Amino acid sequence: MKAALGVLALAVGTSAAVLGIATLGLGLRRGDDRLLQVGRRYVFVVLAAAVAAVGAMEWALLTHDFSIEYVAENNARSTPLLYTITGLWAALEGSILLWALVLGGYLVFMVRRFHDRVTDPLVAWATVTGLAVALFFFVLMLGPANPFTTLPNPPSDGAGPNPLLQNHPLMAFHPPMLYLGYVGFTVPFAFAIAALVTGRFGEGWLADTRRATLVAWGFLTMGIILGAWWSYEVLGWGGYWAWDPVENASLLPWLTGTAFIHSVIVQERRGMLRVWNLSLVIATFCLTILGTFLTRSGVVDSVHSFTQSAIGPMLLGFLGLVAAVGIGLIAWRGDRLRAPGRIDSPVSRESAFLANNLLFAVLAFVVLLGTVYPLLAEALQNRRLSVGEPYFDRMTTPVGIGLLFLMAAAPALPWRATSGEVLRKRLLVPAWVGAVVMAGAVLLGARELAQVLTFGLAAFALAGIARQFWLGGRAHGPIRAVRSNPRLYGGLVVHVGVVLIAVAIASSSSYSTKREVRLREDESATVRDYTVTYLGSEVDRSDQKTTVSTRIRVERGGDDLGVYAPAISTFPNSTQGIGTPSVRTGLREDVYLTLVSSPNERGRITLGVAVNPMVLWLWIGGGVMALGTLLALAPALRRTPGQFWRRSATHTVAQRRQNGDGEKPVAPEPGAREPEPV
Amino acid sequence: VKPRVIAAIAVCAVAVVAIVGLAVALSKNVVYFRTVSEAVEERADGNGRGRFRMAGEVVPGSVEETANGVRFQVTDGKATADVVHQGDPPDLFKGGAPVVCEGRWGDGAVFDSDRILIRHGNEYEPPEVEDDRASREAVG
Repeated sequence: MKAALGVLALAVGTSAAVLGIATLGLGLRRGDDRLLQVGRRYVFVVLAAAVAAVGAMEWALLTHDFSIEYVAENNARSTPLLYTITGLWAALEGSILLWALVLGGYLVFMVRRFHDRVTDPLVAWATVTGLAVALFFFVLMLGPANPFTTLPNPPSDGAGPNPLLQNHPLMAFHPPMLYLGYVGFTVPFAFAIAALVTGRFGEGWLADTRRATLVAWGFLTMGIILGAWWSYEVLGWGGYWAWDPVENASLLPWLTGTAFIHSVIVQERRGMLRVWNLSLVIATFCLTILGTFLTRSGVVDSVHSFTQSAIGPMLLGFLGLVAAVGIGLIAWRGDRLRAPGRIDSPVSRESAFLANNLLFAVLAFVVLLGTVYPLLAEALQNRRLSVGEPYFDRMTTPVGIGLLFLMAAAPALPWRATSGEVLRKRLLVPAWVGAVVMAGAVLLGARELAQVLTFGLAAFALAGIARQFWLGGRAHGPIRAVRSNPRLYGGLVVHVGVVLIAVAIASSSSYSTKREVRLREDESATVRDYTVTYLGSEVDRSDQKTTVSTRIRVERGGDDLGVYAPAISTFPNSTQGIGTPSVRTGLREDVYLTLVSSPNERGRITLGVAVNPMVLWLWIGGGVMALGTLLALAPALRRTPGQFWRRSATHTVAQRRQNGDGEKPVAPEPGAREPEPV
Repeated sequence: VKPRVIAAIAVCAVAVVAIVGLAVALSKNVVYFRTVSEAVEERADGNGRGRFRMAGEVVPGSVEETANGVRFQVTDGKATADVVHQGDPPDLFKGGAPVVCEGRWGDGAVFDSDRILIRHGNEYEPPEVEDDRASREAVG
């Protein structure tokens, strides 16, 4: 019954996508506005179908309907309510369902936002593209990834979700955030394709999708940070990032997406980098599909396993199709994509953005290579290998430091050209702050170049940001300054979050201490200046799991910091023990306790004790980034004459360029005095 | 020579250097997977000096505790290797457990391991012996 309802909903969604594409296609071909009016409504049907399918699946999960295979595999009678609900995204089929739901939501937002431009071919083509993506995922679910496959002989109890997925409430937030990010990039992708098809690759499509891109980017950022947090709180190896293919899969579209939200500004302002921006959007979308392929097809375990189901080849085929369509369209339009602007000086805002983009592209390439190399080696040479973390660490650190430098210096550079005097005025004080911090770090014992540079550049960047806020506040009052240009100040707040994260990564990666100690009851061990004492352990058996938890007293310099309880749980359906680390979080450092082995026959445990500095600042930095993104999304209330982002000017340029007439941008001549970004 | 040409040559040179550097870094940080019989074969041939991961099953009854770790044997059904591991093994380590040990061959045909992963469900699989053989034959 629930399965039938689900399959029916999927069939309705598929048909609606097909009908929508056909109606819009016909309308575009004949120039018939009524068909375009009707065609866009199918988007609402697609969303309704996705909601119904998700509803059917949640109903089946909540009622423990084990006649549906997905429920039998990812739910058990003993599964707690929260993890029953989150069972929707515990495995492949349900995740695709969630994907379809999120995509339906984004498409409805898109169609509603442009309800007064229904007959605009750009919007119609974007809707067609969005519906085509939705169609692919619905077909995937009707075919190999059917979440509603039924079992002829339902078991009396299900297997329950993977133990790792039912050990921490963060699991409820991390995957949906990630999907809201992944899927959100469909909107700029759809508009990029529409811009290429209609030949209107001026600035119009960028202005139209600015908010959607930023929303998607913000969710992806949150998804990645929550994933790192989950990894830190659950996996128990003491770190938050292991360059695992699953982690890299979420990072890759973030890197190209971050490059895109920066390079967009150059195109809006100077009309340059058109091909680059289109390529970045298409690449970002491709990387989200690649990420789904890597994480969900089983290809990471073995290249040979992914052909066991049709999902892997279908995702790979779709990836190839999207890439081919994107590259083909760009090649077809190549002659008309020439930018009207040029870079005048190597020391200018646009050069800095270009360098930023190159570094992000290099970073994405480095991570992509390390992620897919094992797959290629196995497929081509039949050798099984893995790429070690040192590769990623060593290769990404210099690029990251380069990006940090640009983040510190670039916001102070004027457009087009600059003079030494301007640079001195804007950068001298922040640069000195950075230099003093670097010297201080060396005096305090920092010896690694990467760490010293990170701390110095972080201070440089913070001082520059503080200067901009101070100037803006002095000229207009702090609140009016921010409200007049939320995009600029929101971006600067995001940069503050990035600085915090950079400092946290630099500190925790080089100054962590990790030891394993063997303790009997009432024995103590000292790690750094912390003393841990093993007080005793309890075993707790329930239907769902068996947990061995210990009581560990943590003291520092005679101060009692409390009793912590690292534990290990074993689940009936898994051979794997799941550790539950216990973390004493502090602003300066965390004490991270893991139970490596539960009491042996002589009552002795092995306890992992790690002291990780500054890790809390990763999560705080993530919060600051979210705050900045929200700020950047706020509408600008008032424009002042000397304002940095002349939105009205940008729009007129955009509209004139929509015809592709390649008019000269209206930016001031080189050497003209640039107002400071306040 | 026009400045544009010089710039293009410079860009190409930088790109080549970067790619070579990347390839070197990658090849230095690759850890291979081997089954026990492959690893034993390689040692017999005088190769296999580097670090790698060895996959197999713990021989039941072979586990003994040492001063700072454990000593045990792993097998893949065709060959067996002695392993000395530094540090405590993970909680579910026991005879019969499918494991992956990371380390290198030490003196006296003993594998020095410093990392043990218990193979588990849908996240991590050491190479299947049968599957590996079959696919190699298929490749030729």
